[in-house]
Amino acid sequence: MILEFLQKLANYHYPLRPPGAIPEEKFLNQCIRCRKCEEACPYDSIVMAHGNRGLKVGTPFIYARREPCYLCMKCTEVCPTGALQLLRRDEKEKVKMGLAKINTDSCLAYNGIICRACYERCPIYREAITLEKEIYPVVHAEHCVGCGICENVCPNDPASIIVISAHG
Amino acid sequence: MSKYELYFYKHLHFLRRFTQWATIVFIFVVPFLNKHGYHQVTGTFYSLSIGQLDVLDPALMIQTLLLTKQISLSMLVAATFPVILALMFGRVFCSWICPYNLLAEYVAGVRKKFFPKKRYVLNHNPKPQWYWLVFGAIVTALMVLGIPLITLISFPGLISSQAADLILNRVVGVEIFLFLIVLLLEFLVAPHFWCKYACPVGATLALFQTKKTMRVRFDPKGCTCDSVKNLPCNFVCPLGLDPRRGDIYPYCYNCGACIHSCHAHHGKSLHFSFTADKKIVQSGINLKTNRPIKEVDV
Repeated sequence: MILEFLQKLANYHYPLRPPGAIPEEKFLNQCIRCRKCEEACPYDSIVMAHGNRGLKVGTPFIYARREPCYLCMKCTEVCPTGALQLLRRDEKEKVKMGLAKINTDSCLAYNGIICRACYERCPIYREAITLEKEIYPVVHAEHCVGCGICENVCPNDPASIIVISAHG
Repeated sequence: MSKYELYFYKHLHFLRRFTQWATIVFIFVVPFLNKHGYHQVTGTFYSLSIGQLDVLDPALMIQTLLLTKQISLSMLVAATFPVILALMFGRVFCSWICPYNLLAEYVAGVRKKFFPKKRYVLNHNPKPQWYWLVFGAIVTALMVLGIPLITLISFPGLISSQAADLILNRVVGVEIFLFLIVLLLEFLVAPHFWCKYACPVGATLALFQTKKTMRVRFDPKGCTCDSVKNLPCNFVCPLGLDPRRGDIYPYCYNCGACIHSCHAHHGKSLHFSFTADKKIVQSGINLKTNRPIKEVDV
């Protein structure tokens, strides 16, 4: 049990902000904690931070492993203050929530087991993640939007591909 | 006073309670509907959307302007609805809608039962300077510290937000202790001090008090009371104000409890008025002799 807790601690990475979020310092000033993005998200991906995040209480986060962002952009439509910049659904490539990073030590494909989960599920089809030699997944920083779907579908636990948040 | 006015004043308390409870239902129903795919109404008392109409708390608009040094047209438009309501009716949001006020009223009622002797009247009609001093301090702290302080202490926003949290995620956060602790203090020490002195949401609405804004008016000719203490109007005011005097603003939040009480005790001295009367009663009752002061021409 302690081992699980320690493992969770070691694998902790900062959660994602919803798509279209302005840079973190400005975001904390602009966001009025109204919850409209959480209420608008059809996938229940957005959750509001609680007191453990100090002054960020009430601001929206996405925990990719729990439920990633599916880039529907409904949250950007309802944000009243522009903390989430308005984006259309066909502008998903403009999103910059973070960058995926593959841990090649634990990734199944790099260790002799054929797995294409992240490559197949990535919404920036065949551009953000490609397969070297048809086996080894590689993330391309210029295309990856950081939605977290890859982290969510990775069959490994802890996930071999994680999204490093662009916001802190 | 027309018969419609009299009817309204007779049922004022019921109408107000009904509106307050309807708001409580509202803040739970909206996230419930959102959860099940109906997004026509969404938001909290920080910012509400009804169809395409956005409503924004003007205090938060001021906060965003101060913190980010810019404002968008959509935010300005969204803030005009509460501002228009305040320009016309004063701080009725506080007394008729705000969920924190409803809780504070019940807490004050329980306090009266527990400590019937502790008739803590905060201060009959304090000077307006204190009110603006507190608001000014909050705004200054906001700018100096660079944190969204008004969002953190906006209790209507906080309560509606936690109601949404409860419905959507089946949890509440530790943030609820912010208003629970204030409620506890109101129970133990000074009832309704938050609404009366501190709340920045109400203070922003009070900025829009004009001569034509609806106000409680006292006419000594209609007063049928003889006693000096514990008059029906004084006793029932949740904010501890004396409505017989003209200086109840910006504290008074137009709940009309004094009016209802006066009429219930067969008086006719208090009413809501939209006009800046030429003849203004400076302070209607000489509080020593309890005799009405002659009306003063302005």
